[in-house]
Amino acid sequence: MAKVLDVINVHRIYESAAGYTHALRGVSLQVSRGEFLCVMGPSGSGKSTLMNILGGLDRPTSGTYKLEGLDVSELTDDELAELRASRLGFVFQSFNLLPRATVMRNVQLPLVYCDVPRSERVERAVKALHAVGLPPDYYDHRSNELSGGQMQRVAIARALVNDPALILADEPTGNLDSATSEMVMETFSKLRARGKTIVLITHDPEVCEWADRTVHIRDGKLLTDEEEHALHASERGNT
Amino acid sequence: MKVRDLAVETWSALDANRGRSALTVLGIVIGISAVIAMTALIGGINKALVGELGLSQAQLVYITVNTGKPLTYDDVDKMSQNLTDYDYMVATSMGSGEATTGTKKASANITGVKPAYFKAMATKFVQGRAFTDAEEGKGSLVVILDKNSVKTLFGDADAEVVGKTITLNNNEYSIVGVTESSGEMYAGADSVSLLMPFSTAATRVVGNQEVGTIMGFAHEGSNMESVVKKTKDYIAATYNIPESEREENMYVYSMQSMIDQVNATMGAFSLLMSAVAGVSLLVGGIGIMNMMLTNVTERIREIGLRKALGARRSDITRQFMLESVLLCVSGGLFGVLLGYLGALFLAVIAGGALMGESTRITPVVDLSTVLMATGICVFIGVLFGWYPARRAARLDPVESLHYQ
Repeated sequence: MAKVLDVINVHRIYESAAGYTHALRGVSLQVSRGEFLCVMGPSGSGKSTLMNILGGLDRPTSGTYKLEGLDVSELTDDELAELRASRLGFVFQSFNLLPRATVMRNVQLPLVYCDVPRSERVERAVKALHAVGLPPDYYDHRSNELSGGQMQRVAIARALVNDPALILADEPTGNLDSATSEMVMETFSKLRARGKTIVLITHDPEVCEWADRTVHIRDGKLLTDEEEHALHASERGNT
Repeated sequence: MKVRDLAVETWSALDANRGRSALTVLGIVIGISAVIAMTALIGGINKALVGELGLSQAQLVYITVNTGKPLTYDDVDKMSQNLTDYDYMVATSMGSGEATTGTKKASANITGVKPAYFKAMATKFVQGRAFTDAEEGKGSLVVILDKNSVKTLFGDADAEVVGKTITLNNNEYSIVGVTESSGEMYAGADSVSLLMPFSTAATRVVGNQEVGTIMGFAHEGSNMESVVKKTKDYIAATYNIPESEREENMYVYSMQSMIDQVNATMGAFSLLMSAVAGVSLLVGGIGIMNMMLTNVTERIREIGLRKALGARRSDITRQFMLESVLLCVSGGLFGVLLGYLGALFLAVIAGGALMGESTRITPVVDLSTVLMATGICVFIGVLFGWYPARRAARLDPVESLHYQ
């Protein structure tokens, strides 16, 4: 299967007054089209940094990152913006919806930045909202009138609306209770079934059960299979 | 990002902060209303001067000569033959008296005029007619009033008074016409202005054939300063007035200089208003910048989100820039309205004080003024919106998404 993501030996070093922080120490990762990958790690493991780089919001200090064969590490700011507009969809832990805007306007927002004609926007937004299973009664509600689960589904619809190559989800269930989390994960699972490529970042092992594959990140590195077995063994030992 | 999308985004952002936006633009509103009030008022006053007096009035020169021996009508004829800058020269004689109509009484400024006066002054009649040559020849007991005098003597400016009589120094005069305005700049409320044939005034009021003020009308487009100077030189030469006595014995005064004087007064006034406008626009602009900076800080997460969804720096810059420009322009348009109302109010006060009761000033706001005001607002919006917009555009998407 064709690779959507091809990350080779990526490092990310932050420079600050306090000195250097080595957030990613040589991460390599491949994701095939239609795959649902879960990146799991505790806070401080570098998973957010990885997410930012995968989402074209940050650049690796060294190493290459290719999205559908395009070398993202070489792009300018504007080209990165265009990449985010056309090929990436984001789902955030805190939803990040425009609170006063309606569901429809929120979902259509990414289309504003990739110059989709107005006539097409509503149709695409409705399709995306349909895919996440939000009833049409809610389309004209303001987003701050919705429940957490509904908000996250609107956010997923927003991530879907530009038909991206990759959907990136950063702790999408972090602010939700377990029943709602399950509903949101079902939504991701349905998208997976429809052939969407998804990379989901979390610290919650239950969430990872929905994924095709899980990789663990610790101290800026992905664990090898052996390390993973060792980790599982120690976790079992603890319980 | 398309213009229409930009407009929608901007509008919803401004709409979300309606109260704050309104307060913030107050400085702009005040600044622009000062500019508008000023230009509207000056425009109105100029129009009143030119319109009320007639365009020809700018070419009008008042000439009074004091040689010890009064001038006669022959002197005027000679003068008009020698001074070729004038289209007409009309002699008037001035006198005063007390006018009564049954119940009302008022002191009267009486001007004796030849029939040519009306043509030269382009007098507008609201009732009746000018004097005829026959009336001038016979010295008939006829008068012409202006609307204000009709109001003073009959209680209503629009009263039908042609054919009625008024009593002046024990003689009964019948009214043959009413003019829109006497052209008297400083008519008081309790005095009236009357015109009567030159010959009538000479025999009944002034007492002899002597000429009072001469009114000369220079050719259109004449340089009034040089006309006044030539006139002075002619008079000084003809009546042997030495250089040292010119000031006191010769009075040659063009309406243009009167208009210039009003304009000079207006100039000082407009300088003051410009200063007020400038300061409040500056303060207003800083207010806008402050609000936009607050806006940017409040919306850091939104900016991060927009960037994550694919907004380029230029999209963010344009969005915040347009917000600031729209804010300023809406404040400016409101200021235009407020300024016009202010000018209407000032016109009532200034009109009375500056131009006499008879003159009504209608403030003039033309399209170019409104466009200029809008232009100023756009400029302020761009100037003071630039820094906040740039700050917004340069925010790091990762940091702004996680900003608390």
